[in-house]
Amino acid sequence: MASSTTSCSVVFTTQTPYPLPSQKYVIPTSWKRYHFSQLINKALALAKPIPFDFLVKGELLKTSLGEWCSDNGIGEEETLEIEYIESVMPPQKMSDIPHDDWVSSVSCQMTGHFLTASYDGYIRCFDYSQKVVLSTLAHTAPITSLSIIPESKFASDEDESSRLVATSSHDLSAQITRISLPSDSTPKSESKDLAKLILHTAPVSSVTSNSSGTHLLTSSWDTLIGLWDTSVPTSDEVPEAPINERERKKRRKLNGGTNESAIKRKAPTMVLRSHTARVSRVVFGNAGSENTAYSCGFDSTVRLWDVENGVCTHTITASEKPFLDLALNSDGHTALAASTDRTVTLYDVREASSSTSISTSSGVLLHTATPSCLSTGATPYQVFTGAYDGAVRLWDLRSMKSAITSFRAWSGIKKVLSIDWRRGMVGVGGEGGFEVWTAVEDIHS
Amino acid sequence: MTVQARSSTKRKQLDHDEPFTAFDESVNMEMLSDEENGEDVESDNGDVDEFPEIDEESSEEDEIYLGEEDEASGQGSDNGEELDIFPKAKTIVSDITSQEKRVYPEIEPEYDSDSSTEDAPNRVGDIPMHWYDDLPHVGYDMDGKRVLKAARGDELDRFLETVEDPNSWTSAFDKKAQADKPLTAEELDIIRRLHANENPDANYDPYEPLSEWFTGKGKEEIMPLSAAPEPKRRWVPSKWEHKKVMKIVRAIRQGRILPNKAKSTSQPQFYSIWSESSSSHAPPLPAPKPPLPTNSESYNPPEEYLPAEEEKKQWEETDPEDRERDYLPQKYSALRLVPGYDRFIKDRFNRQLDLYMAPRVQRVKLNIDPDSLIPKLPSPNSLKPFPVYKSLQVVHGHMARCISVSPDGAWVVSGDEGGVVGLWEVNVGREIKKWKFDGKIGSIEWCPRTDTCYFVVGTEDMLHFLIPPNLPPSVLQLTQSTLAPSTLPPAPETPSPVKWSTPSSNTWTDDSAILTVHLPSSSGLPTQITWHRRGDYLASVSIGGSQGAVWIHQVSRRHSQAPFKKVRGKVQLVLFHPMKPYFFVATQQYVRMYNLSEQKLLKTLQPGIKWISSMDVHPSGDHLIVGGYDRKLCWFDLELSDKPYKVLRYHTRAIRSLHFHPTYPLFASSSDDGAIQIFHARVYNDLMTDPLIVPLKILRGHEVTKGLGVLQVKWCNRHPWLVSGGADGAVNVWCS
Repeated sequence: MASSTTSCSVVFTTQTPYPLPSQKYVIPTSWKRYHFSQLINKALALAKPIPFDFLVKGELLKTSLGEWCSDNGIGEEETLEIEYIESVMPPQKMSDIPHDDWVSSVSCQMTGHFLTASYDGYIRCFDYSQKVVLSTLAHTAPITSLSIIPESKFASDEDESSRLVATSSHDLSAQITRISLPSDSTPKSESKDLAKLILHTAPVSSVTSNSSGTHLLTSSWDTLIGLWDTSVPTSDEVPEAPINERERKKRRKLNGGTNESAIKRKAPTMVLRSHTARVSRVVFGNAGSENTAYSCGFDSTVRLWDVENGVCTHTITASEKPFLDLALNSDGHTALAASTDRTVTLYDVREASSSTSISTSSGVLLHTATPSCLSTGATPYQVFTGAYDGAVRLWDLRSMKSAITSFRAWSGIKKVLSIDWRRGMVGVGGEGGFEVWTAVEDIHS
Repeated sequence: MTVQARSSTKRKQLDHDEPFTAFDESVNMEMLSDEENGEDVESDNGDVDEFPEIDEESSEEDEIYLGEEDEASGQGSDNGEELDIFPKAKTIVSDITSQEKRVYPEIEPEYDSDSSTEDAPNRVGDIPMHWYDDLPHVGYDMDGKRVLKAARGDELDRFLETVEDPNSWTSAFDKKAQADKPLTAEELDIIRRLHANENPDANYDPYEPLSEWFTGKGKEEIMPLSAAPEPKRRWVPSKWEHKKVMKIVRAIRQGRILPNKAKSTSQPQFYSIWSESSSSHAPPLPAPKPPLPTNSESYNPPEEYLPAEEEKKQWEETDPEDRERDYLPQKYSALRLVPGYDRFIKDRFNRQLDLYMAPRVQRVKLNIDPDSLIPKLPSPNSLKPFPVYKSLQVVHGHMARCISVSPDGAWVVSGDEGGVVGLWEVNVGREIKKWKFDGKIGSIEWCPRTDTCYFVVGTEDMLHFLIPPNLPPSVLQLTQSTLAPSTLPPAPETPSPVKWSTPSSNTWTDDSAILTVHLPSSSGLPTQITWHRRGDYLASVSIGGSQGAVWIHQVSRRHSQAPFKKVRGKVQLVLFHPMKPYFFVATQQYVRMYNLSEQKLLKTLQPGIKWISSMDVHPSGDHLIVGGYDRKLCWFDLELSDKPYKVLRYHTRAIRSLHFHPTYPLFASSSDDGAIQIFHARVYNDLMTDPLIVPLKILRGHEVTKGLGVLQVKWCNRHPWLVSGGADGAVNVWCS
């Protein structure tokens, strides 16, 4: 093994399905990522070469090994543990769908279609050929958030193209809408507003549905979180607000003579109160732990809720971090929260639920502009963030110093307001409309 | 006659021969000196340029010349070599005397002609030549014909001549000859001598050797001039002297003259210099002693005193006055190898300076660390949060002159000079609603009440009350009933020039104002609207109107009144005190503080600003900041004096706007230099502690357009976020 060039002993570990036998390798220090990747491909004798990236002590290897060692002051005698992960290809733009107004929320959940909600109050649906298949005015005020309610029980007996969509809006309410996309049986797309969720006295910031589609959560600027079931009531559960003649006339005019009683006013099953300022996001726990909900708000807290009992089980208090968005990673251990101080902070929610100790962040992703939205994928390590400078960044939580890759949606500085990452696609909605980019394939989904 | 002539010729011959034979050498020398003289004369007449020098290897011509000179000087030469050159005397027999005589050839005058005999062409004589200045000629020649002036070039040619000809500066224009005549060397020499205050004659020798005619060696008078015997008076004592002496003797005897008068020797000749009592002055300081030599100054110091290479280099690089010691230790193995001390003179000189001129008192230089003079301020990092970056930007088409943030800190309304009012979220920056008015928007302000929700927009002569969309029904109803109650309050007894008008409820739309206040006509644009904290009263300041510039409006009574009958100076700004019924009025130079309930003047603050532009009161109500167009920012402690507690001059251009954060200890100032400055301003409840003002951050991001920078800054309630409107039309949100 004696060679003229300096070398370094290395142990490879991985969590990918391509493990190497644990064995010490002696590697020349001049090797770079490409050499390592070739080594692993050769050692495993893979039929199709897979590019790998390498993490040394939680840092992505971008230079040669020797340079990394000298930068970090690590001698050659030390045995380095290098973790390898599958390399991420730089995202490619697939399609660009301009909108008249800013897109506040996007969803790629439906196969074959994209759903966008816009500030002009419309829900739009596009198929993969960028054609508008549906455009319906859901709210008279800007829509802030959109969520597709999965319907497993109806899947068999009802048409696949018919979906329930929940939207939240500045008009102080959330709404459940059934949209029917054109199919063989119904060539025309239809939409029907089913129920209006009446609780909040301020703009509703987000709406989300659990994975089984039985419950909804809404968060609002009035510090409340509402829990709702998704059943459409047969009659108004909440009486019409005492509005004067003028308002009624206007409303009638707006509805355009349609049967007003079609929209039922629905009351929440439970109200979660604990936040002291605007709640910006509420999400359900991952499948399996759906009794838990997580919320974040402008009072710099991330709160964990027991949905069944409607109590706040734990509060993670940060200092001066008004949170804008929250996401759980796929294993449900970590909550990521984006705040206006240009950071995305990681909180370990397992620890928080088990003990009442002071919760500290386990990591921070630093951005150059306000991060406005987050989207986690199937792997627990990767997260996409969108920011007000128009950049969408992919981060690996094992290497948090810098983003793995990033791309800029639209030209110029246009704010990204919503991203959704599913099935190897990233839908980006914001100031410039809606764009779809290819991204890392979700191998597990 | 003939005999005489012959004898004379003979004598001549003798004269010729004698010196030749007797004083050969001396004559030669004489000749040489004569030749030189002759040369001088010759050069006077002839060429001037060069003073010919005689050298031994002179050419033939020179010798010829010399020979001729010899001839001219009248010294005949019998030198064999020169016989063929000099005119030879022929010996002929005279017809008359039949004696032999020598006959010389005729002297031909060509070579020795005198220039003075040449005919000058101009024969006008010695008259002032300026008589001919205006004429084309300068005189007449011998035949009476005109002598014309020579053609002369223009100024440029003359200048070029002076440049090209090196002798031009020593030549002068001869009017008679109409030509430039160069000065001769003689003339130049005379000029030089006159200039040097010397005798103008070059041949004059002031140091001629004295020719001793009568005295000197060999001329002593030995013989007496006369043979008379010596007179008696030479040896007889003088009778008159005797008489004089006897007169003195008699005077002495009579005591009229005191000989050997005793000298007044009151002072002892010798005295002890140490016995004197010391003077009142402090004794002069003793001269400093030269320091004793140290080990390192030895010619053979121990090794450890010798400097290393880098120490040597460092010593050589430092300035002599900065060196720790003024020598480098050197080692010599023996004393006899020590070279001469090269710095001896310098050392002695320094010692003399020490003893004589240098100050005796060692002055200790005051070493003050400049950092220690800066007051200790906490680091900005410890004072977080404060806005540090531009989060988003909303762009207006015109100058965004006024902005206001809703009491819940979620919405911003911004008005521009194009008459557009936009309502948008602080966090997203998406414009939700837009109103359009005629003319500029002068001011805009949200009502601070939380149970209602509306804001006031000031346009030309009018105040519009607007309700934002998407309000909860209860709030909307309360707002509507506040602004447009179904039963109007009774009209005040005294009719006010201010009209309150509400459109009928059928015509209400979201796009129009629910309530409009018509200020008196020609009162101009309301530049400021400020609310009382309860949200019932609002005050407006208009420009243009001379009298009714300030109005206080009460929303519940739909009534407006002018608080001041007469205002001294032009009112710039007004403010309600956040706690007490006080009212601040800023004119151009003063801020007056009135008690509204007692209706009297409490205080007049003198900021010392030429023209006040902005003002804000601290939420505690005890402190006031005032900004001016002359870049000054004054902090007043209202409990203390009328003079500012602190004056900050950090902006490079006029200050436009100031705002205190309602909850955080922050305030911001914006300026025409396009920058916003964030200050930490902590106010203590303890009266003994002065407020702490720490500059935190300068936010740049607005562009200066038409000399205007950031026109207004406003804080968001509940968050350390700042909204700023600039002349570039941009409204920026700065987040922490």
